Amino acid sequence: MPPPDNTAEIRITAEPIDNQRCKFVLSVPVLSGGVRRFAGADEAKGSPLAAAIFAIPGLAVSELIVSGNIVTVVKKSPAPWQAVGQAVGIAIRSALTADVPAVTPARKPAAGEGSAVDDDALYEQVAKVFDEQVNPMVARHGGHVELIDVQDAVVMLRMGGGCQGCGMADVTLRQGIEGMLAQLVPAVRGIVDITDHTSGANPYFQASKK
Amino acid sequence: MEAARQIGVELTVASEQRSTLEAENPAGLLTLDFKNPERAADHVHAFARTYPIHGVVGVDDDTAIVAAWIAERLKLKGNSTHAAEAARDKHRQRLALADAGVPIPRFELHLVAEDPTAIAASTRYPCVLKPLRLSASRGVVRADNAQSFMKGHDRLKAILAEPDAAACGEPALHFLVEDFIPGYEVALEGLVVNRRLHVLALFDKPDPLDGPFFEETIYVTPSTVPTGLQTAIAQCAERAVRALEITEGPIHAELRYNERGPFLIELAARPIGGRCSAVLRFGDKGISLEEIIVRHALGMPIPSLQRERVAAGVMMIPIPGAGTLREVRGVAEAKQVPLVEDVQITAHPGERLIPFPEGSRYPGFIFARGETPATVETALRDAHSRLTFVIA
Repeated sequence: MPPPDNTAEIRITAEPIDNQRCKFVLSVPVLSGGVRRFAGADEAKGSPLAAAIFAIPGLAVSELIVSGNIVTVVKKSPAPWQAVGQAVGIAIRSALTADVPAVTPARKPAAGEGSAVDDDALYEQVAKVFDEQVNPMVARHGGHVELIDVQDAVVMLRMGGGCQGCGMADVTLRQGIEGMLAQLVPAVRGIVDITDHTSGANPYFQASKK
Repeated sequence: MEAARQIGVELTVASEQRSTLEAENPAGLLTLDFKNPERAADHVHAFARTYPIHGVVGVDDDTAIVAAWIAERLKLKGNSTHAAEAARDKHRQRLALADAGVPIPRFELHLVAEDPTAIAASTRYPCVLKPLRLSASRGVVRADNAQSFMKGHDRLKAILAEPDAAACGEPALHFLVEDFIPGYEVALEGLVVNRRLHVLALFDKPDPLDGPFFEETIYVTPSTVPTGLQTAIAQCAERAVRALEITEGPIHAELRYNERGPFLIELAARPIGGRCSAVLRFGDKGISLEEIIVRHALGMPIPSLQRERVAAGVMMIPIPGAGTLREVRGVAEAKQVPLVEDVQITAHPGERLIPFPEGSRYPGFIFARGETPATVETALRDAHSRLTFVIA
């Protein structure tokens, strides 16, 4: 994807999930039609955006997920997102000014190129749990959960309907879905919610007042 | 939830409405009737036979009472139900504070159904009309004369008739009329440990809260109030804690001060609202207020109750007007303002915005951190000026 013409027009909204994970929602797409997960700086070669974020001093980024217009950063640093979010924003903007694609799509493993985790098989299992158990239940509140991808046994999902922007979305995710997957698909190593919750137009529960 | 995860504590999250996934995680999700705390405590007592509970924390005004009932029933660390309920009900709170000699505004309890003209004729002005149970200054109105009293009364009566307010039951049939205390307002965040109040932060509220409605805006800490007065404010809050018999857990108090000293306006046995608490960090590792509260509830060591050195502030973004929110512009520009760490818009597109006193839900929050309270306040105002709310 060619870089945008004018980065001054790019708006970035930080949406912390917790102190380790934060979604950065961009006003422009970074990677259309797929998801790319980076588990370390060595995987960021050829993707300037990922390389720039992994290179932020002191942030100790452990994982990065790029999907559409959302960049999800997972860090080890205890520093709160309020203190380090701006550095991530600067890194994203600088990558988008480069003359090369900010993120290259995920490479499909060549035939015979083994992986420790069979993400395709996990995808099928997680999709079955979502289709048969999670979604029929969250539909009672007008919500749905979409499985975006599984990479290195990490599930990427997006919430919609009543779940998007819901004040209880994190409870549903951490106390509900995470527990179900731990029980039913124990090979799953983690879950990343790439939902743009600020755009949720019909959340089932309102966010807190103060 | 994040605080518990950080320290490896397994959680059971209780909510008033059933989570759609409760059946799949019966240990981690629980539905309780918050309107009936005694029944909720019985429910948790039975639940704990299967899934042991070691601590309980309320997160707002209603759940602080439920937490007290659960703590009492399960013999966990917490406040007595008597203390929690006294803190929750503004009239009971004032009676207890007055009995103990804590400086508070002069107050009278009235029935909503009483003839307001008679009350207006006998009231001292300026006064404040206040519901007993609503939170976030909803329904609180200042009146400077009989005419504005009548207008304020009409609005408060309508608010108390709304289904969510009327659901409070008996308290929604009454209201307080109290003296308006002129002066400056501060908020005190504290943790009570074995009956002793530890002040975690004192916030200045630089925007005057003189009415006619009492919408909060900026909180900045550390306070610039002279040290001696800060001590008097803390002592006033501590007397209120003792008067209400609060023995354990977080408190959030609002006080006013003038040439007569500090006055206790409100004290709640709960922490500052969830979003605003993000402005507080403690100790070298910058641990959160929630982590301190969870650790205290479980009797775990608390690394520090000392707030970080730098100044910090939050703006509860004023409700820009009545209508349906279509869009918020300028968020990225607001985030670029030096010292601003985050701008969170919590109102969603399509949400109906209701100004005070009928409403009480802020459309978002701005956070800033810097060397001095003055620079933090300036950054918050600058960031706010970049935002445009498009309302239809």
